[in-house]
Amino acid sequence: MRVRDLQRGRVAWEAYDQLVIATGAVPICPDLPGADAVAVCGVNTLQSGIELRRILDDGGAKRGVVVGGGYIGLEMAEALVRRGLEVSLIDRSPEVMGTLDDDMGQLVSQALRDFGVTLYLEEALTGFETKGGKVTGVVTDKRSLPVDIVVLGLGVRPNTALAAAAGVPLGGKGSIRVNGRMETGMAGIWAAGDCAESFHLVSRRPFYIALGTVANRQGRVAGINLGGGYATFPGVVGTAVTKICQVEVARTGLQEKELGVLGIEWESAVIKSRTKAGYFPGAGEITVKVLAERGSGRLLGGQIVGMEGSAKRIDTLATCLHAGLTVEEMINLDLGYAPPFSPVWDPVVTAAREVVKKL
Amino acid sequence: MAKERLVIIGGDAAGMSAASQAKRRNTDLEIVVFERSPHTSFSA
Ligand SMILES: Cc1cc2nc3c(=O)[nH]c(=O)nc-3n(C[C@H](O)[C@H](O)[C@H](O)COP(=O)(O)OP(=O)(O)OC[C@H]3O[C@@H](n4cnc5c(N)ncnc54)[C@H](O)[C@@H]3O)c2cc1C
Repeated sequence: MRVRDLQRGRVAWEAYDQLVIATGAVPICPDLPGADAVAVCGVNTLQSGIELRRILDDGGAKRGVVVGGGYIGLEMAEALVRRGLEVSLIDRSPEVMGTLDDDMGQLVSQALRDFGVTLYLEEALTGFETKGGKVTGVVTDKRSLPVDIVVLGLGVRPNTALAAAAGVPLGGKGSIRVNGRMETGMAGIWAAGDCAESFHLVSRRPFYIALGTVANRQGRVAGINLGGGYATFPGVVGTAVTKICQVEVARTGLQEKELGVLGIEWESAVIKSRTKAGYFPGAGEITVKVLAERGSGRLLGGQIVGMEGSAKRIDTLATCLHAGLTVEEMINLDLGYAPPFSPVWDPVVTAAREVVKKL
Repeated sequence: MAKERLVIIGGDAAGMSAASQAKRRNTDLEIVVFERSPHTSFSA
């Protein structure tokens, strides 16, 4: 393996007995003129975050545009509002948070509007306007917006150019294909984290997901095997949580568009409940959606949007997915209850009960 | 006999998790991590 010392510029060859590729992911950057202008920022490394904050600290930035309504784009939109900027967000989908179904994503879109973010949905970025190397405008297929700073949140792709050049076999979205022990198809080479492929335990298919949770678990498995032990990584159910402005957002399993592609038939229910007993001070609204397979009743996925105390309830649904439970079985889960924590029926179980009625 | 040498490219969540687990199980392992940025374990 060849290594370049970036401080001294020296190039050397390094020998290994075993190699782990843990090169992560890189932000997707639009191939448009002006994308490299000053104040067009990604936020995928600590360094890029520091750079963005430096531009904001310098002052002068009054209008910010975020491109992309995934969790990173939304968290950035909130942060820019908190820094006093006038903020717009562009996304080509009908609602933000594409990892939720539109009926749930719409709640997140509304929370952003309530927080003061202007949304331009079903609009595509087509270019940037620049002046003297600095960005001055964002152009979509419907309008042109004057800006002082642009934050890109267009997602990531696995950083696997090095692995590919070495001949390591790749899988979905260009991620490194691995077996359960995190070995690649090349002897002595292992991979883990955002550069590696995973496996979806609900669809039973290879799956690519870039999350710190998965990176830690895959890295652990690779490390145990490399240290002489034996471990396997079973896969993921696609669990993710975030908090945007006032609302907590969570998802797990398969969403409607994935089910459509897989040809799985489903029933779903959306319920509104409270995060604590209804009469308890500080109880907030929570909306839960649960999806189950038609016929079998197998839980397929769930989504939650709500006030403080909402998001981590997704872990119950994620655990049920791991266990392969049906929504019928979920009704008798022995979950905890006291007024400060939930209604007597936990909102995720209330949602499961509603789906059972439709099966 | 020379120590077995484990090389890791990338010193964040996945790379450092692998490094620490491997070292914990086999203290004889020589582990070298290459990280392009000035930071390690900065994410999760
Ligand atoms: C703004 C933001 C918020 C996030 N929030 C969450 C969250 O709330 N929850 C969650 O689960 N995940 C979150 N994530 C995702 C999480 O950060 C990543 O999934 C995680 O960092 C992946 O770890 P990794 O080790 O696989 O890759 P990375 O963290 O990308 O690390 C890869 C490392 O490899 C180095 N590298 C790459 N190529 C080379 C090379 N050729 N030579 C030397 N070094 C190299 C890079 O410099 C980098 O440090 C967030 C990500 C971002 C950007």
